[in-house]
Amino acid sequence: MTTVTGEAPATGNGVLGQPLDSREDPQLLRGEATYVADIDLPGTAHMAILGSPVAHAKILSIETKAAEQLPGVLKVATAADFTDVMPLPCIWIPGGVESHFPPHPYGLPGARPVLTGDTVRHVGDPIAVVVAETPRQATAALAAIAVEYEPLPVVTRADEALAEGAPQLHEAVPGNLNAYWTCGDKDRTDAAIAEAEVTVELDLVNQRTINSPIEPRGAVGDYNAATGEYTLYASTQGPHNHRFLLSALVLGIPFNKLRVIAPTVGGSFGTKGYLYPDMALVLLLSKALGRPVKWVDTRTGLMNSTVQGRDHRQHVTLAGTRDGRITAVRCTSYANLGAYPSTIGPGVATALMGRSISGMYDIDAAFCEVYAAFTNTVSLGAQRGSGRAEAAFLMERLVDRYASEIGMDPAAVRRKNLVPKEKFPYDNGLGWTYDSGNYQLNFDKAIELSGYADMPARKAEARTRGKRLGVGLATYVAICGVGPSTRMSQEGMLGGTWESANIRVHPTGEVTVIVGSASTGQSHGTVFAQVAADELGIDPDTVQVLEGDTQKAPYGQGTYGSRSYSMAAPAVALTARKIKSKLIRAGAVFLGVPEDKVVYEGGRVYEEGNEQNTKTFAELAMSMWYGWGLPAEIEPALDETTHFDPPDFNYPFGTHVAVVEIDELTGETEVVSYTAVDDAGHIGNPKIVLGQIEGSITHGLGQALMEAAVYDEQGLLVSADLTTYALPRAADVPFFTLDKTVTPSPHNPLGAKGAGEIATVPPAAAVVNAVVDALSDLGVQHIDMPLTPEKVWRRLRGEAQ
Amino acid sequence: MNGRPEQFSVRPNELLVERLRDGLGLTGTKVGCDTGQCGTCVVRLDGRSVKSCLVLTASAAGSEVATIEGETTRGGELSGLQEALRQEHGTQCGFCTPGMVMALGELVDSTAGGEAPTEPEIREWLTGNLCRCTGYHSVVRGVQRACAAARAEAPSGVGEPAAVTASTAAGQEV
Ligand code: FES
Ligand code: FES
Repeated sequence: MTTVTGEAPATGNGVLGQPLDSREDPQLLRGEATYVADIDLPGTAHMAILGSPVAHAKILSIETKAAEQLPGVLKVATAADFTDVMPLPCIWIPGGVESHFPPHPYGLPGARPVLTGDTVRHVGDPIAVVVAETPRQATAALAAIAVEYEPLPVVTRADEALAEGAPQLHEAVPGNLNAYWTCGDKDRTDAAIAEAEVTVELDLVNQRTINSPIEPRGAVGDYNAATGEYTLYASTQGPHNHRFLLSALVLGIPFNKLRVIAPTVGGSFGTKGYLYPDMALVLLLSKALGRPVKWVDTRTGLMNSTVQGRDHRQHVTLAGTRDGRITAVRCTSYANLGAYPSTIGPGVATALMGRSISGMYDIDAAFCEVYAAFTNTVSLGAQRGSGRAEAAFLMERLVDRYASEIGMDPAAVRRKNLVPKEKFPYDNGLGWTYDSGNYQLNFDKAIELSGYADMPARKAEARTRGKRLGVGLATYVAICGVGPSTRMSQEGMLGGTWESANIRVHPTGEVTVIVGSASTGQSHGTVFAQVAADELGIDPDTVQVLEGDTQKAPYGQGTYGSRSYSMAAPAVALTARKIKSKLIRAGAVFLGVPEDKVVYEGGRVYEEGNEQNTKTFAELAMSMWYGWGLPAEIEPALDETTHFDPPDFNYPFGTHVAVVEIDELTGETEVVSYTAVDDAGHIGNPKIVLGQIEGSITHGLGQALMEAAVYDEQGLLVSADLTTYALPRAADVPFFTLDKTVTPSPHNPLGAKGAGEIATVPPAAAVVNAVVDALSDLGVQHIDMPLTPEKVWRRLRGEAQ
Repeated sequence: MNGRPEQFSVRPNELLVERLRDGLGLTGTKVGCDTGQCGTCVVRLDGRSVKSCLVLTASAAGSEVATIEGETTRGGELSGLQEALRQEHGTQCGFCTPGMVMALGELVDSTAGGEAPTEPEIREWLTGNLCRCTGYHSVVRGVQRACAAARAEAPSGVGEPAAVTASTAAGQEV
């Protein structure tokens, strides 16, 4: 049963909210969609990238002659060929902090050069490129480039990078400290902790993980010498963003000389919104060679170059009363930014994480400090649920630790501390103001649905089968709807974060919706058509949706942070309303009645009280196209655009319950049931959101159980392919028990909250809590992820962490 | 190749997936990894699903190769399995999808007139195909639906169509 709290938005023809089949699916199922690797422009040459084999070294010399002589090789280029190209900038410097970055000429915090010429800082750091007639020739020639390195000492952990005498990565950043960032009230929090009846502490490792979309990244550059225009085809989450960053801030070419096209994109989960050297290189080399240049990454290449996620080492403290009232939470975190600040990595590691550490709880004092450090690893970026998953993990681990300390049921402790519904909008004291919520309702529903009360009996039954059953709860608040541009500027984001939509009504009554956002698998074409069709009262099948091409689409920032439905869809709705109000004004002329007598309903206008006097949507479209008889103040045609910049973020939330069974003999953890009740406000298409929730939970279970980016002492990524980096497979997950509550956000006309990645936020905490619960009688208070059978088996045998 | 003879000469180290994508322009078959782990490149070789990134083109000489392009005509009606996956929204970004369809096709075909595969059997079958978007749930439901439909259509005597297992208490409500 769905529970709706608050006002529903005005409903149109009821198409919105329906589980319509995804119109994108048939093409995907037939294998007919074009991904970047499938693009084959005439005359294409192929690029391969030479990445550093060592994590930290001075480059003494690079010898490319031998490679140049090889069959098919058209060009070998190094940093020396691109001295007039600016470094790739970082555009999210956490607000209000003293931060240090390697510089960028525009006064921006520069990040990495397109190719590294002097010092390599991580394995995979790009040093040289080869362009050849075929991909195989390009790859083969890489081996003929001779590079002489002088090794430098390596550091791969944030806390170690900040220690006295640690290897130094950037001259401009002494001590490797990129930023020290805080939020909340330190004095108040310290005092609350000092005075508390009970305090609990944990040292947590939120391990580095690799997003691993199944499609590796790729890019095709095509320079047109006749017009001086560049076209970039890339697997990107934000074509407009990439156009802006590449043209103005890297290549130094006019904005209107670069067109970016996102073809079908094979998943992203945060990684494909970042600016990477290859995007600039294919354009530069296409110009140099007068041919299109194509590059497609390999899986191992992806793992050594595409931004990675999480990676915090934290000391966290919670204070409370003996009867279960939480009074304070404090977090000190060492965040590992990798070798260079990625496009928005520093913001993810600070604001996105720190401001949500108190989760769904009403806590009087909270404080978070983050030391963001450079190390010899791949740059840190976003990863499905980024920042918010790290926050939920620490808070939900702490709550369980606290519950066990005071001998109270973890569900009872949580229930007692939820923000009461009369307190919304709720200022969490860490910088966010939660828009709306009914946390009690959501929490109770999850507890009920999961059969929480039956767990003691299930535990006893499991023991008879040689299994230890554990149950783990986790709640969360995820900040979404990034965002209000001014608010994001206060967070240090260099750029507007609004979203836009254009609607054109064609003379024959069909409609084209064009959005600045760009799908990476979220069926935008289906959902945005539903939004427009619902507002206009027309058949969604008559609505076409376009996106992903900067030449055609109005400006927009793209798909990230679960923002398309609460940012781009409202832009669509508001644009449709502009069309509708214009049709009411024009309808008065066509129907020959005053405007206040015109009713717009069900995709037509009619005279109030005289439904015979009417014009259908198609008739109106044709009349507007002709424009005959329209007064001067009404322009002909129907073509409207909206730029939507909401007043504030939105805050989805939810409660998840994991039940695990641990095999006493092998230490293997099996998730035997998983219940999730999420609240994403009003939902546009439940079938599509269902898929996103299921995928997100599976991703979160991956971090808990098996995923880890492992670097050795030398900074080599040991888990650099899919044989050594474990992703969840179909047999690793059960069917989930899912439900929702619906608390609309007041910050957009659809009452929507983010949905795409929110369910990735709590699973890691829920599963670790469940495993600790299962092992609690052995004195286990915490166990680090991933919960491999060996790790759990050792704890079963009483060995320490 | 999809029922049509193809003749060409190959380098000894050429992989079947290279021939399909680069040589024959059959780009429905995808490359997602370099270790034979992801399953995006699955095609059927004499009816058995194989990872075409692990097969030398030369070794496939004389065999029947079926790719996703052979499942339907371009833009044409979906196969039973594809239709079931569509109804369950078993695809999101779609990059894993052609490989899934090719791998699952063998499972659905092989069980058509007999016992429908159980949920664990379907999950086991799918372990060679990685999907990062869906978490597999909708794919598993799609196979259950496809098997149920295939059995309903099969000549009488094979029993009642198996019910599709609901994955969620609230079903599509979420
Ligand atoms: S490309 Fe063949 S298994 Fe991944
Ligand atoms: S649908 Fe994206 S990987 Fe499966």
